Amino acid sequence: MTKHYLISHENWDKVLNRAISKYLLYAPVIRENHQDYVLVEQEQDISHIIYNTAKPASPLKTFFLPVKENVVREPEGIPRIILGIPPCDLAGLEMLDTFYLEEPYVDPYYQDRRENTLLIGTDCFTAQEHCHCTTYGVSPAVEKYADIRLASHEGNMYLTVLTEKGEEFVREYMAGDAKETDESRMAPVREKSGQLKKELEERNSQLPGYERTGVLIRKSGEDIWEKYSADCVSCGACSSICPTCTCFLLIDRPEFEKIRSLDTCQHPAFERVAAGEDPLHSKAARFRNRYLCKYVWRPEKYNTLACTGCGRCIEACIGRINKNELFVELNT
Amino acid sequence: MPEATARTRSKTRKPARNMYTPLPATVEKVIDESPTIKTIAMIPDEEFSFKTGEFIELTIPGIGEAPFTPSSSPLETKRMEVTVMKTGYVTEYIHRLKKGDRVGIRGPFGRGYPLEEMYGKEILILGGGCGFAPIRSLLYNLMAEKDKFRKVTLCYGSKTPEECIYKPFINELRSVEKFEVLRSVDKPDETWEEAVGVVTVLLDSIRVDIPNAVAVVCGPPVMMKFGTFKLLEMGFPENKIFLSMEKNMSCGLGKCGHCTMGKYFVCKDGPVFTYDEIKDQPDIWA
Ligand SMILES: Cc1cc2nc3c(=O)[nH]c(=O)nc-3n(C[C@H](O)[C@H](O)[C@H](O)COP(=O)(O)OP(=O)(O)OC[C@H]3O[C@@H](n4cnc5c(N)ncnc54)[C@H](O)[C@@H]3O)c2cc1C
Ligand code: SF4
Ligand code: SF4
Ligand code: SF4
Ligand code: FES
Repeated sequence: MTKHYLISHENWDKVLNRAISKYLLYAPVIRENHQDYVLVEQEQDISHIIYNTAKPASPLKTFFLPVKENVVREPEGIPRIILGIPPCDLAGLEMLDTFYLEEPYVDPYYQDRRENTLLIGTDCFTAQEHCHCTTYGVSPAVEKYADIRLASHEGNMYLTVLTEKGEEFVREYMAGDAKETDESRMAPVREKSGQLKKELEERNSQLPGYERTGVLIRKSGEDIWEKYSADCVSCGACSSICPTCTCFLLIDRPEFEKIRSLDTCQHPAFERVAAGEDPLHSKAARFRNRYLCKYVWRPEKYNTLACTGCGRCIEACIGRINKNELFVELNT
Repeated sequence: MPEATARTRSKTRKPARNMYTPLPATVEKVIDESPTIKTIAMIPDEEFSFKTGEFIELTIPGIGEAPFTPSSSPLETKRMEVTVMKTGYVTEYIHRLKKGDRVGIRGPFGRGYPLEEMYGKEILILGGGCGFAPIRSLLYNLMAEKDKFRKVTLCYGSKTPEECIYKPFINELRSVEKFEVLRSVDKPDETWEEAVGVVTVLLDSIRVDIPNAVAVVCGPPVMMKFGTFKLLEMGFPENKIFLSMEKNMSCGLGKCGHCTMGKYFVCKDGPVFTYDEIKDQPDIWA
């Protein structure tokens, strides 16, 4: 049911301007060399939105799993549009959905946000230093999990509508402005992400693939984890920033209120039991646990990708630890 | 698309209970079992049912939550007991509870004991310390269905005679046909007339028809480990040894990640596992 549309950039901006009266619109802008999503509240902000660059600093999960939230209240049902989602984060959504929408414990807050959010993904035309999506089979072109796929090129916006939700948006906000067209007209933008795909494959050719990495981690001895975790300060930034890390802690408040606060296996005592035993007592064990989770346990249990190759954990690490260097070393 | 606009947020009001919301309950009675163990009897605001071996999260409002396996009979839905050893922050507060206090219950969670797999069999139960709590609930269940089982042997160990819990219950159990109770303590006193040593010594003195038996083990990690090894040595098949695993827990429903044991979440995939299911996972005894 995919449909393709062309619309001028100018008219697209008008579409967004109409949409912000109903939706909260989040889109990436650059501020002080830093690219991240902001809430676009006014017409003049729309022109600052950037398209088809590599990932924003915040992972998509922050829109569905806030750092802290009260989980004993009515879901809010706020309609939102998230624009400019990179393909890696969309791939990460599969893990989050599998996890938070799994029966019988469907998380009501996650579900509420998912249902009320329109996802507009954008193909990547450029990459950042640590991007390695293609190594794990994720294309820099949006293939799934978005409602609308968008690319900007020479004054026009190229839209491919992937879901009924996306189609409804087009009918409601773009009627008259957009021209339906066919896949062949998408060629110029497809070429750009295709080019980037090749570049990334070449650049990361030393890095073992997803399954292979799992095998290597399983076989690995302790030494390499000791060596790479030497500068880890257990800050947990690698998990906070990771689009597929899902762990949390429930904190109790008076009157039976509960706060769900994101947590990570990198924090000491994450698995400590009352008797004092702690399988993750050492920094190296915690550090290795993160990658066992990503490359061995999660894929084995859920058959989904648990590392999308976004590279954020490498960028965020205060100890300058680069997991990819570790995997290349394991592979040689 | 929903009709509400972004600017008109719905008011924050208390929702119908969801999986994070505890069912309030009132403490009915607190029973001292040993210097470090108390049983808390509670009356939930609504009837609450669970299967033996499933667990609950007990909430102390404003303080925290901790997982416990009810120690009362699963056939009783108006009243529930948990038996709690004082080990840290939340359990310290639980020990301070008194009649009339309000607590919360979430659950039941997890996979309990597979009773159907035990029908027609001889059941050997190995318990230590506070591991007796889930076992008592299982025993209540077995007593109610005693026609369905051949024989039940309970081997229970504790550090000292003082720490042996459920004394009245043990006496009751000893009078029930088909049930046998053997106890041991590490450090006896002058009144102790039963076995001395770690709980596995009891296994040397019993006869079990292993091809027609299942074993259930619950207790502190060291006891679980050596108990399991001993049972394997005796010839129990790996898939006939049922273990209640203890891990750090928060959500109880397979999302928070704290109870990770390799590819399993102990809260959702367990807490009861056969040895066969978990033997290849890392750190099972830690
Ligand atoms: C399925 C299951 C059934 C159990 N059944 C029983 C039973 O029947 N009887 C029994 O006595 N015990 C039982 N236990 C063990 C019991 O849950 C623990 O003894 C209890 O959780 C200890 O809590 P504590 O806060 O007193 O201990 P602590 O040592 O203070 O905490 C234990 C762990 O929980 C974490 N933690 C606790 N509170 C917080 C908090 N507010 N913030 C962050 N982390 C926190 C800590 O990181 C620590 O690692 C069971 C455990 C499991 C998993
Ligand atoms: S593990 Fe690192 S590279 Fe992989 S998805 Fe998470 S943050 Fe991105
Ligand atoms: S890597 Fe650690 S924090 Fe992230 S999902 Fe896995 S267990 Fe949780
Ligand atoms: S971001 Fe780096 S220093 Fe912080 S916990 Fe992760 S690996 Fe350790
Ligand atoms: S206790 Fe949260 S996943 Fe098991």
